[in-house]
This record gives sequence, structure tokens and C-alpha cells, in this order.
Amino acid sequence: MAFDLTNEEKAESPYGDEEKIKSNILTVNMGPQHPATHGVLRVEIKTDSEIVTEAIPHIGYLHRCFEKHAENIDYRGIIPFVDRMDYIGAMNMEHGWCLAVEKLLGTEVPRRAEYIRVLVAELQRVASHLMFFGTYSIDLGAFTPFLYAFQEREFILRIFEEISGARLLYNYIWIGGVWNDVTDDQLNRISSFCDNMEDEIDKYHNLVGLNKIFVERTARVGVMDKEMCYDYGLTGPILRSAGVKWDLRKDRPYSIYPEFDFDVPVGTGEQGTVGDCWDRYWVRMREMKESLKIIRQVLEGIEAGPVMGKVSKIIKPPKSEIYVRTECPRGELGYYLIADGGKIPYRVKVKSSCFTHVSALPAVAPGQMIADLVATIGSIDIVLGEVDR
Amino acid sequence: MNTATPPLTFKSYFGNIWTAFRTIFKGLTITTRYIVAEKPVTIEYPEVREVLPELSRSRLYNDVENCIACNQCATACPVDCIYIASTRRDKEAPKIKTKDGTPIRLNLTQYTIDTALCCYCGLCTTVCPTQSLTHTTDYEYSQYTVDEMKYNYLEEDIKAWRDRIVK
Repeated sequence: MAFDLTNEEKAESPYGDEEKIKSNILTVNMGPQHPATHGVLRVEIKTDSEIVTEAIPHIGYLHRCFEKHAENIDYRGIIPFVDRMDYIGAMNMEHGWCLAVEKLLGTEVPRRAEYIRVLVAELQRVASHLMFFGTYSIDLGAFTPFLYAFQEREFILRIFEEISGARLLYNYIWIGGVWNDVTDDQLNRISSFCDNMEDEIDKYHNLVGLNKIFVERTARVGVMDKEMCYDYGLTGPILRSAGVKWDLRKDRPYSIYPEFDFDVPVGTGEQGTVGDCWDRYWVRMREMKESLKIIRQVLEGIEAGPVMGKVSKIIKPPKSEIYVRTECPRGELGYYLIADGGKIPYRVKVKSSCFTHVSALPAVAPGQMIADLVATIGSIDIVLGEVDR
Repeated sequence: MNTATPPLTFKSYFGNIWTAFRTIFKGLTITTRYIVAEKPVTIEYPEVREVLPELSRSRLYNDVENCIACNQCATACPVDCIYIASTRRDKEAPKIKTKDGTPIRLNLTQYTIDTALCCYCGLCTTVCPTQSLTHTTDYEYSQYTVDEMKYNYLEEDIKAWRDRIVK
């Protein structure tokens, strides 16, 4: 902005009076209703012309008091609320909650139910990463990949609707098993979807990931290196993109994950530096392939049998406390649950990955262009339902 | 953190241009294939309607003739959107039974579900002992006011849905 400066300002201005430019810090509010913030996140940005000097995320617009609510509802009734935390990866949220309560109760889950749980959790991971791929390309100005990604995601949602009854908020994984059985026809369709999906991921990567414009927008942008991940407690694909081979499914196995053979993709800095936005994108794309690998093994190994274990009608865990953590599409999800022997939990604390990821934003943002900040926010893939809870 | 771009040389300058052309062409071949070879996957909604899967959870329907007013659905509901009122049946009154033979001991006077509050979790239908409360696959029921979303299933006009949506 060019101003006619007063004499006093000319004396103060670092550019001298010839430039006639006054450098001033401008505060811009990005969000809460901004298409690039993926929900209702408000980022207060202090900008020096195009350069971001400070970014302060303001959260809480989607706060629904989950933790307080959970102290008033029985263990079964919490499952629909758990769905609504991370509504893009609802199956994974349910899985973690049910594992926590089952550990308190000491319930045995039938083998078939375990297989179905892993199946739906991995399908959900693919759906979630497809959502990331679609919205991230929209953030960076490409609309077409979004439509392609949603076409494949639609198949997963349709399968979920058939087996669980809902498209987004399933209430499918129950304490002691799963609600409904999967038919052979559905398993066959998932199998053919897996074959199709491999080619689709390669196609997406050719369409977007290797595109020079995309690479220029994402490589060397928003670098979150190993030290930063340790400092801020970043987990999931962000930690892996920084080159750390850490996946709870492999390193702290739960459910029947130890029986499956899959790799943990890590960022290598192929296009820029390790831990930049492009690496985060590429880790997620490769994770989808690993998920498909797991799904194939589930389809081969699935056993016949009941899908619901023996659980009493009223769930009353003994007086105890537990912390269970699972690997969700966005990172590590932890439930800290205190039971006092009654029908309702005494305290539920959720350690959500998105919340910690947002907290790292002020550390990455300074020195970036505003457009790069959009790319950074998109690449950490937050769901505001999980941030605020 | 090494965020600096590598220095621009004569070779890398033209190399970048060549890569840009190559990758954009690669992407455009994919989109062109979609234009030419792929069939549209979207449907034009009001004219073409998708049939929802059988298990799909949409509007709740309570077949009040089979309801024994046991209150289990209202207890299971995590958002407390089911309101039930009932009175004790006279001993002299003729004995009636539900479809599956459960004797009805209470007269249902009110069975209201606030559909605007309902979260479609399906917990109420699974606890129903007589299967009178079910999720239908009917999803087109928008209203002008929130009050209209409260359905008392004892009213005649709501009983009339039965023929339309209950199989």
C-alpha cells in the first residue's frame, strides 16, 4: 500500500522517503467461515504485506461438551457421541471407545467381529484419506480431483450404509462386537473395490501429486521436522512424514493388527525436504495402499461365526481406570476412562490428535506466504469436530 | 529446517518448464479420459430417486398397536427425544395382545418423538421387545417449523404413513 507519509513517519520508516511505502502489520481473520479452514477454525493472521508474521488459531466454535456429556450417558449411549467427534473417521473413533470399555469389562470379542472391525476401520481410513486428497486439492485450486476422490469415497459410504444403516455416523461397532454381520456379496464387492482402488491411487498421484504446480505449492512448505513433532506431540501421518517410523498398529498393537502384514510409509523428502506438505500428502496416499493391503488380508482370513460377544444388558465396569490409544486416520486417539462401578462413566478424557496438530500451527506459520499457510492448514488435515469435541 | 529453494540455473530453469508441461499434459490425459469414456455417476435427484438400502436408518415409525409402553426406547435414547405417557389398563377391559403375542397391560396415551432432536443412532429400535419401533427408509420429511417435527404416533394422520412406508 502506498501512502503519503508525514515527516515523522518518514523518519521512522525503514524504507526512507523515496520508497513511500509504509510497512505496517495488518491483522486478517481467516475463518471461521472460510473454505480453506476445513470447518469452523478461525486463524488470526498478522501479516506484513504477503508474509505471515504470526498465526493464532482460535478454536471452540464447534464445542459440544462431549466430555461432560459422557458423564451423564451410559456406555452404549456414548457411541453415537463418539461418532460425532471425528465425523470423517467415525469408525475409528468407535473402535477406540469400544476397545477401552471392553478392556475394563474384560469382554472377549468374537473373531469374526474383530475381522469386521479391522475391515471397516481400514475402509474408513481410505475414505478419510480420500477426503483429505479431495479437499487438499481444492485448497490448492484444483477442483477436479475432489470429484474423482468423492466418487470412490461414495462406494465406501454406500457399503457402510448397507452394513450399518448410516452413511457418516454409524453406531456400528458396539461394545462386545459389531451390530450387524457382513454378507459375502458385500465382501466380494469390497474385494473388487480394492483392485480398482490401487489403480485409482496411481491415477490420483499422476493427476495431482506429480503435477509441477502442486509440487511448487507444497514442496519445502510448512516443514514440520522430527524435533518439532516430538516437541508438540504430533502423531499420525505428520510424524511419519517427518521420517519417524511410528504406527500404533505396528508398535503398540491392538485388536488383531499383529496378524496382518503391512508397511509403515515414512516421508523421504522426495520433492523437497523431509516433513514438508508434499511429504504429508504422499505419506497419506501410500497409507491408503497399505490399508488396501490389510483389507485384502481380512477378506482372505475372515472366519464364520457370531459377530456379537456376551455382554450383559446393563454395562457396569468395575471401579478402575484405563488409557487406550488407537491409530486413527489423523493420528493418535486416546481415551482416558475412569469408571466408578456405576452405569455411567465417572470421567472421560479424549486425547485428540487434531487438537495437538492445530497447536503446532503458530510455530510453522511465521515467515510463510498467506497462500502457503492455506497449504499448511490443509496438509495437517484437521477435523474441527475432533479439535473442539 | 531447509526451506530454501535450490538455486536457479540455466538447466533447472528450462527443466522446470519442461516438467510443468509434461506433468500437466499427463494430468489432462486423465481428465480427458473422464470426459470421453466415463459415464456420469450423479443422478438428478427429484426426478431420479435412489432406493436406500434396507437397513438404512431414517425417520422413525412406531406401530402403536404393537407398542407395550415399556419405556425401554426412551431409556436407551442418548438425546432423550422420546416422550411416552401411559395409563394402567382396567382389569375388566378385554385382553389384547401385540402381533407377537405379548400382552398389553398399559394404555398408551402419548408417544411422541422429536425428530428434530433425534440423532438416528438406532439404539431405540434395537431394544424394542416387540419390534414396533422401527427405522424406515423414508428420508423426505422436511417441515416449515421445528414444532412440526414432533410426531405423536397416536394421531390419525401419522398412522396413515403406515401404508406408505412400513413394509
